[in-house]
Amino acid sequence: MKTKAITLEKITQYVLIFIISAIMTMIGNCINTVTDGNPDTYVSILEGIPGLLILIAIAFAGNLLGWLVPKIPAVLWITIIGILLGMPYNTVTAPFVSEQVGKLGLLPLVTPILAYAGVSIGKDWVEFKRIGWRGILVALLVMTGTYLGSALIAQAILMAQGII
Amino acid sequence: MEKVKVILKNWPLHLTILAVAIVCEAINTISIPTPLGNIMFLPMLFAMVIALILFLAKPIKWVKDEQSGLSSDFVVIGISLFLGKVAVTSGTELQELLEAGPALILQEFGNLGTILLALPFALLLGFSREAVGMTHSIAREPNVGYVANKYGANSPEFRGVMMVYIAGTLIGTIFLGILASVMGAMGLIHPYALAMACGVGSGSMMAASSASLTAMFPEIADQITAYAGMSNVLSNADGILMTVLLGMPLCNFLYKKLWPVIGIGRKKNAKGGKAA
Repeated sequence: MKTKAITLEKITQYVLIFIISAIMTMIGNCINTVTDGNPDTYVSILEGIPGLLILIAIAFAGNLLGWLVPKIPAVLWITIIGILLGMPYNTVTAPFVSEQVGKLGLLPLVTPILAYAGVSIGKDWVEFKRIGWRGILVALLVMTGTYLGSALIAQAILMAQGII
Repeated sequence: MEKVKVILKNWPLHLTILAVAIVCEAINTISIPTPLGNIMFLPMLFAMVIALILFLAKPIKWVKDEQSGLSSDFVVIGISLFLGKVAVTSGTELQELLEAGPALILQEFGNLGTILLALPFALLLGFSREAVGMTHSIAREPNVGYVANKYGANSPEFRGVMMVYIAGTLIGTIFLGILASVMGAMGLIHPYALAMACGVGSGSMMAASSASLTAMFPEIADQITAYAGMSNVLSNADGILMTVLLGMPLCNFLYKKLWPVIGIGRKKNAKGGKAA
């Protein structure tokens, strides 16, 4: 089976990026729980650490498996590992994993990533202006079409199933 | 250890990103009342805009072209942590996921909605064969590769797919975040169905759209996260297959039918046979 080269450099690079992103999330998550206006949700910076260590472990294992078995992308591996660790049938790890990961909000996990994304798209800005308004309009319709198409089908099936 | 050195050497960039994140989290979600309902602007969306402005306005010398590539590594690799969170939540909600299995699987075909909605408009706006590249899929990396392979890197189809790819990369995340928020505020479609639509095959687009929904419906946030995550995994898994087997043939079929009728560009190309 074809595998992707796993070098010490690549492992260090991934772990370093995970740790830096995790530190930012840890701080951002704490602030978010203060400014969200709900005093019951407060999570201190230190309280976020176990959850982030779990996420780093899942992310690392998922990417590692993605290198070993490139046919299956890392996102799929991550999903499989996360589900196995968090599903209620798994009474060994699920209570701890769900509780710790639950202390981390979805939003603060993405904020630093999208800030990096802002810097990363900066260099393509010239290209973007070259697309012109017609191209941009079509691109927006492409995204709208995909989103609405999926939402309408899901709505119909969920209604048929009686879930909603 | 070149890449590791680059990460460490750029500590001012990381501190800047941290500062941006702290400021945005301190502001927290801004809810703007509109006639449609309250639309949510999330910290992650203005973090992206602030960082882009820092880059473009160039007030800071350590946020330049060189840092752009490094930042892109942080997006691609760092999103794994978010995906891990989504996965654990999916595990917690496994029962609900299994029950909603049919809807999750069938909504994948909704990705063809882009062709039905966008292709006619692209033709009306004067695009010819570019329109096929533009509208056959949501134009993420695998689709770009597929079009390059099928039509060649000098083809109008490839020009088209690249236009939507670039536009999607630059404004897709913010646009989908706002679109999800608008749809959620309108209340015509159930948040579960909107959540399932969030998975379009791009991690950051899914993040922005699903987070908008969780901010709006906090009491069902875990289910929204699980549905969005699962639909994203499915889109990742079936995306290119859907394109090759259904999307591209359907797009070409509709193009042949629509081009002679509404293709604004057809008069210009009448002799060129570009429509073939």
